[in-house]
Amino acid sequence: MSLEPGPLAGRTAIVTGAGQGVGRGIALALAARGARVVLAARRAETGEPAAQEIRDRGGDAVCVVTDVTRRDDVEQCVRATVERYGGLEIMVHNAFRGGRPHRLEELDEALWTMNSRTAVWGSYYAAQLAYPHLRAAGTQGRLILVTSPSGVEGSVSIPIYSPVKAAQRAIAKSLSREWGPLGITVNCLAPVAETPALTNAFVENPDLKGRLEARTSLRRVGDAEHDIGVVAAFLASDDAGYVTGQTIVCDGGSFMGL
Amino acid sequence: MSALSGRVAVVTGADQALGHGLALAIGTSGARVALVGDATTLTPVADTIRDRGGHAAAFDAVLTERADLERAFAAAADTFGDPVTALVHTAMNRAAFEQLDFADVDDARWELIWEGTMRAALALLQASYTPLHGRDGRIVFVAPTVSMSGAERLVPYTTALEGQRLLAKSAARQWGPDGITVNTVAVAPEQVPIGVASAATSLAPPALGGPGQPEADVGPVVTFLLGAAGRFVTGSTLSIDGGVWMAP
Repeated sequence: MSLEPGPLAGRTAIVTGAGQGVGRGIALALAARGARVVLAARRAETGEPAAQEIRDRGGDAVCVVTDVTRRDDVEQCVRATVERYGGLEIMVHNAFRGGRPHRLEELDEALWTMNSRTAVWGSYYAAQLAYPHLRAAGTQGRLILVTSPSGVEGSVSIPIYSPVKAAQRAIAKSLSREWGPLGITVNCLAPVAETPALTNAFVENPDLKGRLEARTSLRRVGDAEHDIGVVAAFLASDDAGYVTGQTIVCDGGSFMGL
Repeated sequence: MSALSGRVAVVTGADQALGHGLALAIGTSGARVALVGDATTLTPVADTIRDRGGHAAAFDAVLTERADLERAFAAAADTFGDPVTALVHTAMNRAAFEQLDFADVDDARWELIWEGTMRAALALLQASYTPLHGRDGRIVFVAPTVSMSGAERLVPYTTALEGQRLLAKSAARQWGPDGITVNTVAVAPEQVPIGVASAATSLAPPALGGPGQPEADVGPVVTFLLGAAGRFVTGSTLSIDGGVWMAP
């Protein structure tokens, strides 16, 4: 942890799904640049250790157990954040569940609901409930939605994942237009990183790792904090104040379709 | 022989201007057309197609209900004597067209527009799979370019359309081996009553002068995708908007 005031010093961020994987990496990177971070995690068992790790590095962080599929939970998380830190400048919605391989013609209600509720309803709640505070933050207001290259190119193995990730890109584009006059920026991050979810995918699909690395220019899978989180931190900073409505693909040079 | 003779095509949304024009285009290109949705409002459209020498009938179904759609598809096959082999989906809940500040969107509206649109698209795909697979099946979703360009005060609508557009791509990838193509035709925003002009999405005017007409300008492209020449096109988004949205 740097002792210099970071580019995000004095700002407060909420990161959903921050207990592990990309969300944890983003939380660590934001905190390392001076932000106070609320880790909104569904399970305290993962969220608390991640928050403790930030505190151990000298940062300011707290875990608030939050189920992003419930409006009341997200509302409570935002309220707790503002009560504790006095404001909210940066909302990052990353939480997602439901990346199980399936056939579209056999897609069941439960899997659809999990995808829809975490990715899309979660984005809607995060954006809407953060909005009064982002508006108050003016040109420091940031909404960042974590999407996926699959949200642009489609997916053969987890087909329903693509539409919910694409939906987040549309939210970012339309909200960037709607909130732009207030100075708030809205962007998406489309990462590929070493996460428990990807590790599981490698176990289920043994040749996936080789195929993924072969397609990746940099020949490695990204690190959640040092490859992905740092890009989220850039989007959250003043330096990215003129970037809005965009999807930053952060996958080591794999998908190049934008 | 007409371009689409031999095909039975399901068309949704023919009670709205965009779907109406496309149903006429398809129905006068040799396909037998099953207009699926609220049969009461669709029957006059079927009458128009028959008046022009085509074959068409209206079938009742709630678009978000897979079992309902499967019954309608089966009824269409009975009526026309051949299974459904194409789907052209244009229907959209009219509530989605209303502009509203995002801060004022409530859960009921999000449910109606996001969930409703996606559940209809999914149910239509699922109901199509059995009759279409192995039969050179063709699926076309039709929606304006605003999901790609973004539009203020239309967050639920653009969110739902972009979900639907990527659902088409995933279906294209997964169902290609089943002989089914899935594409999106992206039309000018003027084709739907959302109060958005093409000029809002580009600094340049439409290269071809305007948004075009559903039947005369968009219809031939949908007919192409349903016809023999379209068989190797899948997972694509074709912008048929008069030359405004030129990405990528």
